[in-house]
Amino acid sequence: MNFGMIRFILCQVMRIEGLLLILPFVVSLAYNEKAGLYYLALALILFVAGSIGCFFKPKDTVIYFKESCVATSMSWILLSIFGCLPFVITGEIADFNDALFETISGFTTTGASILSDVESLSHTALFWRSFTHWIGGMGVLVFLLAVIPMSGGSNINLMRAESPGPSVGKLVPKLKQTARILYIIYFILTVIEIILLILGGMSVFDSICLSCGTAGTGGFGIRNDSFASYSTYVKWVAAVFMVLFGTNFNAFYFITLRQIKKALAMEEVRFFLGFVFCSTVIIFLNVMPSYATAGSAATDSFFTVTSLVSSTGFASCDFDVWPMNAKLILVLCMTIGACAGSTGGGFKVSRVLILLKTLRKELSSFIHPKIVRKVTMDGKSIEHEIIRSVNVYLVTFLSVFVISTLFISIDNNDMETTLTAVLATLNNIGPGMGKVGPTCNYAFFSVFSKYVLMIDMLAGRLELFPILMLFHPQLYKGLFKGLKMP
Amino acid sequence: MNIRRSDPGLKIIIVGAGKVGQTITETLTQEGHDIALIDNDPSKVREITNLYDILGVVGNGASLEIQREAGVDQADLLVAVTDSDELNLLCCIVASQFGKCSTIARVRTPDYSADASYLRDKLGLDMIFNPELESAKDMARILYLPTALEVNSFAHGLADMIRFKIPEGNRLDNMSIRDLGMTITNDILICGVDRDGEVTIPSGDFQLRSGDIISYVATRKESSRFLKEIGFKTRQVKSTMIVGGGRVTHYLADLLLKRGIEVKIIENDRERCEQLTELLPRAIIINGDGTNTELLKEEGISEVGSFVPMTGIDEENILLSLYAGKNSNAKVITRIKRSNFSEVIGNLDLGSVIYPKYITSEAIIKYVRAKTAGVGSNIETLYQIFDDRAEALEFRITEQSRVTDTELIDLRVKKGVLVACILRGGKLIIPSGHDFIKSGDNVVIVTTRKGFTSITDILEE
Repeated sequence: MNFGMIRFILCQVMRIEGLLLILPFVVSLAYNEKAGLYYLALALILFVAGSIGCFFKPKDTVIYFKESCVATSMSWILLSIFGCLPFVITGEIADFNDALFETISGFTTTGASILSDVESLSHTALFWRSFTHWIGGMGVLVFLLAVIPMSGGSNINLMRAESPGPSVGKLVPKLKQTARILYIIYFILTVIEIILLILGGMSVFDSICLSCGTAGTGGFGIRNDSFASYSTYVKWVAAVFMVLFGTNFNAFYFITLRQIKKALAMEEVRFFLGFVFCSTVIIFLNVMPSYATAGSAATDSFFTVTSLVSSTGFASCDFDVWPMNAKLILVLCMTIGACAGSTGGGFKVSRVLILLKTLRKELSSFIHPKIVRKVTMDGKSIEHEIIRSVNVYLVTFLSVFVISTLFISIDNNDMETTLTAVLATLNNIGPGMGKVGPTCNYAFFSVFSKYVLMIDMLAGRLELFPILMLFHPQLYKGLFKGLKMP
Repeated sequence: MNIRRSDPGLKIIIVGAGKVGQTITETLTQEGHDIALIDNDPSKVREITNLYDILGVVGNGASLEIQREAGVDQADLLVAVTDSDELNLLCCIVASQFGKCSTIARVRTPDYSADASYLRDKLGLDMIFNPELESAKDMARILYLPTALEVNSFAHGLADMIRFKIPEGNRLDNMSIRDLGMTITNDILICGVDRDGEVTIPSGDFQLRSGDIISYVATRKESSRFLKEIGFKTRQVKSTMIVGGGRVTHYLADLLLKRGIEVKIIENDRERCEQLTELLPRAIIINGDGTNTELLKEEGISEVGSFVPMTGIDEENILLSLYAGKNSNAKVITRIKRSNFSEVIGNLDLGSVIYPKYITSEAIIKYVRAKTAGVGSNIETLYQIFDDRAEALEFRITEQSRVTDTELIDLRVKKGVLVACILRGGKLIIPSGHDFIKSGDNVVIVTTRKGFTSITDILEE
């Protein structure tokens, strides 16, 4: 293990967090809130400490996959711990555990909150809460790769550990360029959404916060009723952008290259859009009777489907009171999640596609036992290695799910609450059903359950393995030896 | 070593992820170019994309769709180095027809290499290179001058760069470079010394010691006078024994026989032996196992003038070289295809060591550097010397620039850079501080830095 390099990366991340913390300070200036000074102080401390740490560059800069995974998960944990300090210091979320839960939920773009009264928070805190979504959406290490010159090809592992999807590739030969392109697309889409929301008559502050929440597919609202009291126009804009941010970013890259056909030909994107459409129609038919007009029923069903499938978790109505069939389709949306290579969470559409195709292949081998067939995607056959990793991912996903549910069940809530609380955190969605439904929050869980859910959120955002790896004793071999001989 | 460039670098597609493909990828990414690598084998692509910051594409490199995916539309250069000559040529044709980029193909089969220049022009390629022929030429040059570990030539043979090891008790032991100039000859220039693995460009006070490996530049005539003066033989070898009858053997034997050197080839495969007798009627072809010491003794390894093991396996070649070093006084050349262990190999007594993969990458880097070069000079030749720890570059000066018409002593040349010689009007000038570079000259630069594309790069910013 190259602990020197992990330390170096962590310090870089601290430095970046220091820089990012300046933004809420700027917001506090606009609203004349004194709390902003705490953010500024923390920003300075992090920046200086990180810079000192970065000053000593390790001699051996080569990192392998395991170092990347450890560096990634440690960065996210550190980010969250430092990110929650402003809430604790200003006393807006006085309890450290709750503040940590809220921040992890922010960075992992989950959007599960422990606050019952969001509107009482200061503007600074509201902005920082939503801004963590934006940072976490594309990933802080991808940001690191985009701005900091790092030599060597092994850094692709960092991106691999942080970006969602069964196989992470590059758009252009240089990793730095790839990371930049992703962030540019991300930034431009966010700005477009902000503008469209402002055109819909929303205040600048609200539209920035909500756009950050949509872009990262996070889901922290800034009103107690999330999205319910906004206009229909705003709901539709947000819903469309939730679909966009849940789409594989490669598609946008193809569009910028004017290869729209190629973007539309991506099987994953087509499946994703088809799935969104079908779910919306079925749910619309389900909930129609309880609505006064077809228009509002359509708005709510489209908004809810896009919100859950992209793992955002905004709510425009209380979907917990919908018919069982509609609710189960929503659970399905939650489970499948967004596309690989998007900012969304969940099991990922491409994995589902690979599993379905493998299933079809296996079925045909029952009919023709000697058939030779390969699973293909976008006209290319998929390596056995990837199929195997998808299968393993499914098993791991289920194991983590089952184990977490067992832990949560100690709290003795009803079945629906227990199951969907884990599902909504592991898939980075936010609201579940029952007691954790869209109108409720996570405050009532015991401290132990909260920590289980926090681990679930991190594991879900980083695609399980980087976090699970931290529990492997082999990893810590040589750590203490390394400390003795600097 | 990483070179930061201000310009974005070229967009280069490499087809074939073999040994050569990987070496080129490594050096070109170090020089800051954008690389896309195409290979059929997903595991090879994955392995290399994990090591270097490049784009990997799995598929047939000759298919237009795959080339498009690798970005042939915007590419500046495509290099085809797969195992198959035909595929390489096809890759290049496709790329140059549809992608409008420059193309380089590796072509190794003797059948094609004879018409290489014709093929190149007719098919619209920019370069066809044959690393096997090139490595045979390198080996032949060493056998013409067996004292040398390596011979590189500049300006079509006008000047040679020769590398040799100073033996125990030689005149040069404990002599400073300034004394050498005064007592022996002033017409050679020592441009690099490798002592215990450390390469330095020596100044006048540098003390030579036995065991040093030195490189010097001189004309052929001066060079042989110098070597005679310090007590070396300068005659070419009389006879050569080659183990293994592959393509390089064929090229090498052909070159040696033309110079009147006796050639004996030991090859295991009967059929190949028969082919070789037809191809090389004047060579003695022995059918037998070249790793059998009895056979080697019987065929006279103890009397032979030089010994070149060229089986397909590096380890066998190393063992054969060590054996020959023990049992005869023959000049030994060892060819090493994979050099993952160059630190270890450096300590063994293997005679001259030839790395064919450097030969390929030299050719391609030269081409790429020439393409990125600014106005005013062209790279004519490039050699990676001292196992690619230093470079010798020959520039042709085509225009006036900051380096021309100024006395060398007044130029602010970077550290680790040496102006080794100036070739002007068919004459070689070993430069002193009062010489200057003129437009129209060829200038040889030796440097431990890398990434020079133009002659002005030798100056401090």
